[in-house]
Amino acid sequence: MPVPIDHATAARTEYDVLVVGSGVSGAIIARSLAERGLQVLVVEAGPGKELSVAEYDTHLTRFYGAAAKDNNSAYEVNPNAPMPRSPDVRGLAEGHPDSLSYLVQNGPYEMDSTYTRVLGGTTMHWEGKALRMLPEDFRMRTRFATGRDWPLTYDDLEPHYRQAERELGVSADVADQTFYGITFPPGYEFPMHGLPPSYLDTTLARDLDGTVVRLEATECTIQVRPTAQARNGIPNAAYDGGKGYVPVGAVSTHQIDQGERCQGNINCVPLCPVQAKYSARKTLSFGVRTGRVHILTQTVASQVHVGADGRISHVDYQAYGSTTSPEHVTGSLRATTYVLAANPVENARLLLASGLPSSSGLVGRNLMDHAYLLTWGLLPEIAGTMRGSQCTSGIEDLRSGDFRGRHAGIRVSIHNDGWSWATGAPYTDLIELVDDANAYGTALRRRVVDRISRQLMLSFMIEVPPEPSNRITVDGRYVDALGNLRPVLSYSLPDYTMDAVAASRRVSRQLFRRLGVEDRTFYDPRDPAFVSHQGEGYVLRGGNHWAGTHVMGTASHDSVVDSHQRSWDHQNLYLAGSGSMPSIGTSNTTLTLAALSFRTADHIVSELTTRPSVMLKG
Amino acid sequence: MSLRRIATVEDLHQYLHVAMQLEHATIPPYLTALYSMHSTANQDAHRVIRVVAVEEMLHLTLAANLLNAVGGTPDLSRNDFVPVYPTRLPDGETDFEVGTRAFSPDTIKTFLKIERPAVADQGGSRFVSRDRSARTLMPTVNAHEDDLHFFSIGEFYAEIGEGLERLHHELGDDLFRGDPARQVGPAYYYSGGASVVEVTDAASAAAALRIISEQGEGLGGGIFDEEGELAHFYRFDQLLRGHYYQPGDEAGRPTGPALHVDWDAVYPLMPDSALDHYPEPGELQDAVTAFSRAYGDFLARLTEAFNGRPELLVPAVVDMFHIRDLASRIIRNPMPGRPGVNAAPVFRGLAPVGVA
Repeated sequence: MPVPIDHATAARTEYDVLVVGSGVSGAIIARSLAERGLQVLVVEAGPGKELSVAEYDTHLTRFYGAAAKDNNSAYEVNPNAPMPRSPDVRGLAEGHPDSLSYLVQNGPYEMDSTYTRVLGGTTMHWEGKALRMLPEDFRMRTRFATGRDWPLTYDDLEPHYRQAERELGVSADVADQTFYGITFPPGYEFPMHGLPPSYLDTTLARDLDGTVVRLEATECTIQVRPTAQARNGIPNAAYDGGKGYVPVGAVSTHQIDQGERCQGNINCVPLCPVQAKYSARKTLSFGVRTGRVHILTQTVASQVHVGADGRISHVDYQAYGSTTSPEHVTGSLRATTYVLAANPVENARLLLASGLPSSSGLVGRNLMDHAYLLTWGLLPEIAGTMRGSQCTSGIEDLRSGDFRGRHAGIRVSIHNDGWSWATGAPYTDLIELVDDANAYGTALRRRVVDRISRQLMLSFMIEVPPEPSNRITVDGRYVDALGNLRPVLSYSLPDYTMDAVAASRRVSRQLFRRLGVEDRTFYDPRDPAFVSHQGEGYVLRGGNHWAGTHVMGTASHDSVVDSHQRSWDHQNLYLAGSGSMPSIGTSNTTLTLAALSFRTADHIVSELTTRPSVMLKG
Repeated sequence: MSLRRIATVEDLHQYLHVAMQLEHATIPPYLTALYSMHSTANQDAHRVIRVVAVEEMLHLTLAANLLNAVGGTPDLSRNDFVPVYPTRLPDGETDFEVGTRAFSPDTIKTFLKIERPAVADQGGSRFVSRDRSARTLMPTVNAHEDDLHFFSIGEFYAEIGEGLERLHHELGDDLFRGDPARQVGPAYYYSGGASVVEVTDAASAAAALRIISEQGEGLGGGIFDEEGELAHFYRFDQLLRGHYYQPGDEAGRPTGPALHVDWDAVYPLMPDSALDHYPEPGELQDAVTAFSRAYGDFLARLTEAFNGRPELLVPAVVDMFHIRDLASRIIRNPMPGRPGVNAAPVFRGLAPVGVA
């Protein structure tokens, strides 16, 4: 355990705050509260013995040895706190839910998104893109007559974005990130300088910059831009008014100090081998150092109880000793304030399993994720594919504009890892060259290089609006090894998204033409994620950007939480994470949910410290 | 040749050149031990040695910063910069030699000697008289005194510290006449253990020296330094004792978690591998030569970086990956005619081949 604490002691302790989940939301809230004197207990359903490099490296070893390199391949199979895995997706037979794996899928669209139940949460496998949302993303209903407005504006969240950029250690240059309404206070600098664009990026920029793409009536001029990333680069001496920034290296408890910066390893997902990429373990380790954060792992929050006064009274847990046996002990944990930070699916699942659908009935509904359309082909020249971190640049110019009244916004990433996501490259290329092309020796080496270093893959990340019918539910027929109700997913992609999918394919063809790329995109109708729209077929991948299941709003009748992520129904309950987001725009959700976590921590502190019974220990 | 007490700026340059040589001289032995381990085994031991190796690179960089600060010119590409292993350490410790050997208990015992804590009394003489050794790579200077040598690296640095103080007292801030643009700052170097210090005055020079000596040997007798970091000697000690040290522990009695070492999961590398061990033309000789050449290129790049182009430390990281990959090509090959012995990289730094 990061801090030696046992369940019996924890159960006897009256904590200020109980946080369920050790991912980025829970870690930020825990650290932030502990640094201001509050006593915090974090419970994590998944395994994790210590915040050490040695433990981290066990994940790395598992990943290296895994035959299928999916984004949970670094983490052990754990029936006691299972998680969805993309290879689980099988293809639905009409009218029959797929219940073979943890996430029960009702369809009609079967999603391959995942999350990670392990100490550090899904930041253990995230890629590290740290994008702010556009100001217009917060006003979707007002501006585009679609989706929902936030009860917050970009300007309200801006100071918290800066906190999040410090916490996550974002490398970027302000000039590159100022676009489509995103603003920074005068003189702002990111903690670290932008990471260098890959050679592939510069090759594409050379041929694509200035290309005009039309989306509905909006003309978009393409510019390849470096992407803000939460991975260590060169610290910016001008950061924080000239105070500079010290990058946070590998988390360690045994004097194994590694302060790595990004080395361009290509396996950011599922795991950075040198911990240059942010994970919540970094934040947790700072929290633990205050002496006021206790962590219990392999501890599943199984039931949330409400007292007669409408406040949360306690949370039941199940603690298991081994991932290979369902044997466990049970008990209850008590705190003044409760934070569910277990990700949008697990937060909704736990609330619904506890009989708490909220007075609005919206818990579990409005589920969102980004839909990814991948397009790939061969460049006419060697472009150094497979060098650099997974994505170093992208195209931001399809994210904003009046077209969003008609169809979804789109963000394009340029993939330094070639066709990896689409085809399993480079492993599949090697197998094909050996088994089918009978290549060996020098010829094999040459053909591998020729083929892989010309690979180009673009991913089109497409917004999905909140739809009440896209939802997580629970069903007594489906339980996990500890008897907890499993999440049941019903999901479809609305025309608002699918029209943008079609537009993305069209844009891809246009860009490939400019680049002289030989288009190798192929959408297999047998793929479980195959979708038809207006006579054309596509394979759409999930983005692991789950959101919306406890949506934030201005009133209890049509939202679950307020703008501080506090439950309308239970004054001492906060539901933290992207589940609170009323829209996800075209930004990966982590930076925004991290910003929301800081805002929530501020609110919890102000609520608790204004109560005379709480003594601040800071 | 040998070193005398620091009396002039030239003496100080001399010492700092030796300091760079000394810090570098430990890196090939540490890297050879790392490379010799089977890739999936001994992860605990791998991390322990790797941390020390990375910190020696920090020390090398700090020594270069010190030399630049007092107007010197770092040069890692001189023919004698890399010792011929086995070698005595350039500061003149006489009772042991350092080689490039596979990971083993004996190798770790040598590493312990490299990093051993200072024992000379404060105020007493830290110089030890001894005969010259043909095997010690000492720079050429006019020796004003008898040959003087140090019992430990920590004491060698203590003399540099005192020399710096004496010269600063004598010359004032004019001592730090180097161009600040030649300093390597945190933009281009960081590791977890300590951050690099740009040396521009007496205070920063003292800070840089403190990191070098404390991080290595825990000068002052403690097993942890002021930042709570475990000294190198005790890091290696953990490997022989099978447990991690934790705060509060006494030297020799680590009480932390068990540290597992598999002494057999190691390639049996040719000890003190040299180019003439590979006389037969062929792929193995090519691989060993390629490694030496890449290592030479790397040292040339570092020399440029330490001479006003610190941004070259970014591509130098790529060089280090390249060097590791070249080493891993070599170490799995049995030596022709030497059953049970595998080939090993040679850190000779061959001059780059001119391209026609």
